[in-house]
Amino acid sequence: MTRDARILLVDDETSIQRAIAPLLRSRGYQVDVASTGAEALKMVADRSPDLMVLDLGLPDLEGTEVCRRVRATSNLPIVVLSARGAEADKVNALDLGADDYVTKPFGPEELLARIRVALRRVQSEQEAKTGMFRAGDLAIDYDRHRVQVGDTEIRLTPKEFDLLSLLARNHDRVLTHRTILKAVWGPNAVEQPEHLWTLVAQLRRRIEPDPANPRYLLSEPWVGYRFSTGQSNG
Amino acid sequence: VSRNASDGLRLVAGLAAVALITLTYTKWLHVSNPAIVSATYLMVVLVVAATSRLSVAVVTSFAAVLSFNFFFLPPVGTFTIADPQNWVVLIAFLAVSLVASNLSAVARTRTQEAVGRRDELARLFDLSRDVLMMTQSREAISILARSIARRFDIEFVAIALPRESDWDISEAGPRSMVLDKTQLDAAFVSAQASLEFDAYARTYAGHRTMTVDGETIRLVPLRAGTKPIGLLAAAGRPIEPGTLDALAGVVAIAIERARFLEERKSAELTRQSEELKTALLASLGHDLRTPLTAIRVAASNVKASWLSPEARGEQSDLILAEVERLTRLFQNILDMARIDAGAVATESRWAHPSEIIAAARDQVEHTLRNHHIDVSIDPDVPVRLDPRLTAAALAHLLENAAKYSPADTTITVVARIVDEGLSISVRDRGPGIAHADLPHLFERFFRGAETKARVSGTGMGLAIARGLLAAEHGRIWAENCPDGGAQFTVVAPAMTRETEAAGSPAV
Repeated sequence: MTRDARILLVDDETSIQRAIAPLLRSRGYQVDVASTGAEALKMVADRSPDLMVLDLGLPDLEGTEVCRRVRATSNLPIVVLSARGAEADKVNALDLGADDYVTKPFGPEELLARIRVALRRVQSEQEAKTGMFRAGDLAIDYDRHRVQVGDTEIRLTPKEFDLLSLLARNHDRVLTHRTILKAVWGPNAVEQPEHLWTLVAQLRRRIEPDPANPRYLLSEPWVGYRFSTGQSNG
Repeated sequence: VSRNASDGLRLVAGLAAVALITLTYTKWLHVSNPAIVSATYLMVVLVVAATSRLSVAVVTSFAAVLSFNFFFLPPVGTFTIADPQNWVVLIAFLAVSLVASNLSAVARTRTQEAVGRRDELARLFDLSRDVLMMTQSREAISILARSIARRFDIEFVAIALPRESDWDISEAGPRSMVLDKTQLDAAFVSAQASLEFDAYARTYAGHRTMTVDGETIRLVPLRAGTKPIGLLAAAGRPIEPGTLDALAGVVAIAIERARFLEERKSAELTRQSEELKTALLASLGHDLRTPLTAIRVAASNVKASWLSPEARGEQSDLILAEVERLTRLFQNILDMARIDAGAVATESRWAHPSEIIAAARDQVEHTLRNHHIDVSIDPDVPVRLDPRLTAAALAHLLENAAKYSPADTTITVVARIVDEGLSISVRDRGPGIAHADLPHLFERFFRGAETKARVSGTGMGLAIARGLLAAEHGRIWAENCPDGGAQFTVVAPAMTRETEAAGSPAV
């Protein structure tokens, strides 16, 4: 299905449209282009794209607002293009439901990789609605709170299991520190990222083949974490 | 001279009074009682002595004594003094003259001193006002020296400030003298070493004199608080030590003020350049990243084998256009820096308004692609101005008009010859300028609050246009048209063949 996925490209800069639309088409995607937030929202409804590439600096609506409105009605993967150096916009967009981000200026491979990962998430979600999750050697049984690496069962503390299952359920998406802290520790913990660092380090020691070079629990510097199901981190 | 003249006049008046009394008493009234006559003469002597110099009073006294002796004292008609009592009269006359003229001289000196003081106070006041009016800190010291020489009518004034091992000397006044640096050093060192108050002269001690070509120059330490910061040298008209000291005080304050202004200015410049950097970085963030991303992706598209020839051409065009955009951005940054440094050179040539407009359109061709440009030039006669700067400024206005008005609308360019020179206005059919934005339109990095999100830009264009026009001594302004749209007008000072022939540049 990757080959004929439909991508909605939202950017008001014609130069970006003119460079990226042919790039995506060349990789077999169908591409629609929108220049404004309103146009984008209309196209999401009309064309039902499989993924949206969204620039945050739009003339009419804030990109984050587009994220929020899209997320309110659909699970459409959103990859955010951010031209602003500030992390705040990016994090904001991710908190509002974007899946991933690329910072301008970016290269073609960087964008394509993020698109592939985001599409893979939806794909596997559609395939498996069961209580089991598998990625590489790792198997998670959500219902029984059991985790296996290969044939070995791994004992996790309740918090470790909560964190792992949160990331795995949202695999291939970037979850911001804030989102994770809120989900695992509750709303009062959002200002205490050190809990998260400690727990991630523990969890990596339990499940990663090489905790120093993680393949499942990937850090997105200054933004959050992502559970990667692919071999590469894109 | 006037002094002598008025003394002469008083002498004549005195003598005339003596003659008149003599005549009156001998010819008409026939008064011969010596007591009455002498009292009358004494009155004249007193009046003369009180109002004029001692010499005048003495001469008048003698005239009075002689007349008294000749006409009234027996034997009348001779200068013989028969009665020794008459000596007493003569001595009394002279004594009265002496005492009265001395008293009046003292009073006059006092008055003159008071007037002199008032005069010097007024000069000091004027000088301190000069000091307060000085805004040019770099020139301040030499202006100050000139102002002292002028206000105090001094032939030579110099302000000497120590600089490392040498002296910075600013001199003024009609005479020029070379100050001996060794003596300056010595005076400065002694001023540093001691601070004594001279209670009698009511000044701080440390005044020194220096002799150059037989001329005495007075040196007064300049003190900021008690610390000496330099020397004031003066020669020519004598000035009271107290005044000189006050003068040195004013100079010291002025120097401190100049230094303070200099420091504040450089602090202000630092702050401005910090602000500039921040604003520049913020605006560059977006304006560099977008073209860089487009170029990077398009270049790798060109390299990929999957492209059709047309698509490849289209990607190359995109790269070229984006490089163009970066070049213009770069040019803008450069222009901005040049304007900031005051390094915009102007070069006047003869050019047709149509050439200037064409050159401007060329520069922003890419931006203008989606608009109709309606040009009217009346008349297209050669004008003498800097066509390069005018075109560059106009290009920014065109770019601005295209960016802030909808595609497929018309941009009207009208060039006219006006009294001041060449006027070119650019009018768009966009939403116009928000009222609140108008005053800030030409500020660097200013972006309209509403348009900021809609239109990308750095906020440099109009500031550059203004800077370029300023270098040409021209003007630029913006207004909203009554029937919608914004209109920008530039007026560049220019000569036409006519004004050149008339010899009156339309500047």
